[in-house]
Amino acid sequence: MARSFTGFFPGDGRPGLAGAATTFYLRPMSNTSQQPVLQVQGLDIFYGSFQAVKKVSFAVMPGEIFGLLGPNGAGKTSTLSAVESLIKPSAGTITVAGYDTQRQTLYARACMGVQLQSTSFQPELTVAEILQLYGGIYGMTLDRQRLDEILRDIKLQDAASKRFGQLSGGQQQRVSLVIATIHNPPLLLMDEPTTGLDPQSRRQLWVRIEAMRDKGHGILLTTHSMEEAESVCDRIAIIDHGRIITIDTPQNIIDTNRDRPEVIQASRKGKITLEDVFIGLTGEAIRS
Amino acid sequence: MSNTTTAPITLTNPRTLSSTRSVFASLLRADLTTQWRNRRATVMVFILPVIILFAWKPLIKAFGGPFILANCITIGLNAVGIMGYSNSIARDRDKGIFQRLRVSPAPNWTIMVSRLTVQLVLISIMTLFVFIGGYQYDHIALTAGGYVASFFTSLACGAVYLALGQAIVGRITNPETVNATSRLIYLALILIGMFGSLGMLGNAMNKIVDYSPYGTVKTIVTHALVPSTWNADANLALLITLGYTVVFAYLGIKWFKWNSR
Repeated sequence: MARSFTGFFPGDGRPGLAGAATTFYLRPMSNTSQQPVLQVQGLDIFYGSFQAVKKVSFAVMPGEIFGLLGPNGAGKTSTLSAVESLIKPSAGTITVAGYDTQRQTLYARACMGVQLQSTSFQPELTVAEILQLYGGIYGMTLDRQRLDEILRDIKLQDAASKRFGQLSGGQQQRVSLVIATIHNPPLLLMDEPTTGLDPQSRRQLWVRIEAMRDKGHGILLTTHSMEEAESVCDRIAIIDHGRIITIDTPQNIIDTNRDRPEVIQASRKGKITLEDVFIGLTGEAIRS
Repeated sequence: MSNTTTAPITLTNPRTLSSTRSVFASLLRADLTTQWRNRRATVMVFILPVIILFAWKPLIKAFGGPFILANCITIGLNAVGIMGYSNSIARDRDKGIFQRLRVSPAPNWTIMVSRLTVQLVLISIMTLFVFIGGYQYDHIALTAGGYVASFFTSLACGAVYLALGQAIVGRITNPETVNATSRLIYLALILIGMFGSLGMLGNAMNKIVDYSPYGTVKTIVTHALVPSTWNADANLALLITLGYTVVFAYLGIKWFKWNSR
């Protein structure tokens, strides 16, 4: 049974960011620690004089799918890049499984798996060679038997000797996901993982992501699909103009905001959806 | 939300990192494999020095065998560093391959050193090709010391062109523009260098060529091919080449962005 907690983290007694006494639900996780797999606190990111991210704070717990939603240019990718320690924040701290991403960068990276928006492996390498490359980087020995197991798991057992550039989009995405999780990381970062996938591949991907959540991985994902976010995310943060404007469960975000005039105005089907709330909170104007 | 059982995802146990040696070995294996799969492009890089080696056979009597070999090796080094290296880095950066590697626990320097090691392998192969072609076709024979000295000199001199390639790919992010720019610089260097060193462009241009990255490298390699001729000119050329390498490498590293977007 799902349990109800009051507060940002279970047991810490602090009010949720979206409002006082926010109630949200987390799965009981008997054998995982209550320490967040990702903790972002007071994150500021500047590009020259432009501030892309302003005092962003959130946490991802083990066994949780956390969605970071926002219009283009809202600060999602900057936040994700800071978590990946690809850019240096001007202020704030980020810890991954307890490791500070600025001071213990390689350890933090060893604790995270990353699926980037575009699949990005050398197209000349075969699937098996890519697995061996990343296995080596993560300090794993992948013998033939283990490779076969991995490939069978992602239904690519016949594609071991196929070059990455010859795979379909869905197959490439599966390879990308298996590379991201090959070292069993506590935290998985996914940047718009379903972009360009057909419905079958998308469904299969979500099944895999939910299976990882069930194993206790904490998952931070960005997506532009509100339907997907609503159906798979345990909690969602909506970010706009560099600030988080709400964090809660999808249903609570809908319930809390359903009576706002701008949300009602954005509603197109009579029933208030997460997309209506999103449009209501971030505005209808198209962002560049 | 579903009820779940959890697998042991440990947060409290410290993660151990793979050894740098193991990371580097994995990267190098992948980079060498990629280069091997792109061998047609690699062969194109080797073709010009070999063509010049054969075409300049009639000039051996006038200029001597070492002069011909030095020009061919210099052109090959140009091709590897300016054309091959910069374009492969620009392509992989644009595809996001570096970004993918950088979010793994591979230190940044291992990613670049692996790439440079592949280029050094190519330089070695190119130099051996020129030696073999020169011996077989042009009957240019050197002393054992000459072969050894010029082999290692070509590896060291390759640094200036790799650094120049790094500066190009550092300053320019678009891979097509990198390609066009590297072709332009490559052609300018080798055409002006070759014709200038043959004395066809006048004395002033000959002097400029002597102090260009083409001329200094050619001077070093020429003297290394016959070590007994090593003199003050070779020392000066070595010093200037070192200067070029430091400046280009500094700019290339300073300007370089891992992401093209």
